[in-house]
Amino acid sequence: MIEARNITKSTKEGVPILKGISFKVEKGEFVGILGPSGAGKTLTMRCLNGLTQPTTGEVVFTDHRNHAINLTRSQGKELRRARQQIGVIFQGFNLVKRLSAIDNVLIGQLGNINWLRSLFYGFTDREALLALETLEKVKVAHLAHRTVGSLSGGEMQRVAIARAMYQQPAIMLADEPIANLDPSNARKIMQLLKPLAEEMPIIGVFHQPEIITEFCTRIIAIKDGRVVRDGGNGLTRAEMLDIYGAEWSEMEAHRPRETPPTENPLHQAPSAPGRGLRPLPA
Amino acid sequence: MDYARYQRKKTIRKIWVVAGLGFAAYWAAVSCKVDFSALRRGLPKGIEFLGFMFPPDLAALAELVNPALETVLLAFLATVFGAILSFFFALAAASNVSPPWLRNASRFLLATERSLPEIILLLLLISALGLGPFPGVIAMSIGCIGMLGRLFGDAIEEINPATLESIQSVGANRWQVIRYGVVPQVLPSLIINTIFRFEVNIRLSVLLGAVGAGGIGYELFYAFRLLEYQRATSAILVILALVFLSEKLSGLLRKKVAPEIKLR
Repeated sequence: MIEARNITKSTKEGVPILKGISFKVEKGEFVGILGPSGAGKTLTMRCLNGLTQPTTGEVVFTDHRNHAINLTRSQGKELRRARQQIGVIFQGFNLVKRLSAIDNVLIGQLGNINWLRSLFYGFTDREALLALETLEKVKVAHLAHRTVGSLSGGEMQRVAIARAMYQQPAIMLADEPIANLDPSNARKIMQLLKPLAEEMPIIGVFHQPEIITEFCTRIIAIKDGRVVRDGGNGLTRAEMLDIYGAEWSEMEAHRPRETPPTENPLHQAPSAPGRGLRPLPA
Repeated sequence: MDYARYQRKKTIRKIWVVAGLGFAAYWAAVSCKVDFSALRRGLPKGIEFLGFMFPPDLAALAELVNPALETVLLAFLATVFGAILSFFFALAAASNVSPPWLRNASRFLLATERSLPEIILLLLLISALGLGPFPGVIAMSIGCIGMLGRLFGDAIEEINPATLESIQSVGANRWQVIRYGVVPQVLPSLIINTIFRFEVNIRLSVLLGAVGAGGIGYELFYAFRLLEYQRATSAILVILALVFLSEKLSGLLRKKVAPEIKLR
């Protein structure tokens, strides 16, 4: 469980970016966050993981043992222990490119193991086996020993998901996890995340409304640093207009329409009577 | 303004620059007592001197093996110490790992070190520690830091901070981020620059040896002082072989470790 309590964040110059964001995400939820660019989605995600400290307000996270940790106030060891239980997937994958896939997955447990051992020895066989099993779950076990830099975007994102899963987190955050992927890979990644949501709450930022409505159980919209919508997974056209403003109608106007072949006279079978192109008079 | 005038103006400016440089060179030559007639008179003497130097004293070659080895070991030790020290300075000098005050302080120290020739360091250290290879090792180790620290630091700064942040986001502490985020990303560049520095250190170790750090450089210097010119020739041959071999070795290693990285 994670809760954002009225968090605000301003830039160094004092320009407010987040203007009071509150929501609470419980187990079993797959929350999709959407909103126009610059609305503060990424900053909200960073506050949820403690990578950025909010100016005011607080983030409270409940770990596996039901301890409530105030991410905003904790520092050092306590913060690291909390982060250990928050899996994060980034848009740019942010893996260590010169390490192998399995090493990148093993990094997921760094917060849990003795740090001196991790510096001078590395990981044990048991840990490596577990990491390999996790790679198997996201179907890239055959790439375990390839350098991450040589993988494709979809494969890298799978490794990144494996790393987050290997953390055995209490919650998963995903900041635009499919923005850098082609549509088919994006769907496959979403299909991997969907069943995970039953084990732990997932909060993701997505730009594709059709993906959000298909996979997420709850949709939060952020606009201009505020939550403007928080509810179930249906999205009406009016809501989209409200969230994206004029930008949305523009987007919709340029969206390729699914046109059934019968409506297009050029695709009309010539034998169909009465419609489409008439044969030229003799 | 028409083109001819513009061109004339440019030509006049060029003449000024050339005349200025010529005058400066003339003045420098006069104050350094450059005397070309001395060169003409000295030339036959020099050729006669070369005669003293040949043939090289081959019997001395066996005696020169140990000092040559000492020079190599000196360079090797200094490179290892220097590279390790440089890595920590580089961490402090990288903006994506260290806070700004530490970065600036470290960059300042590195720049100061670069402007300080090793030979001055050695003379200072000799006055404190006495003659011998030990002050040589220290002087050369410190001498590495300015160059390697800067190169390592730049390599670390090229790492995408998002990668380091993502390791932080799993709950890793600062040292773990360095071990798993920084080291793997910069290791090839670290190794290559260290190998290159070893090559530099071999040459430097000959020079510092002559000043008092021992090794083959000292042998050469000493042979000249005792007027044993044929022995000096052997020492020069050994030095040439050392430098040539170290260059070949470092080139070979570099190609093996990271064929894709070009030396800056």
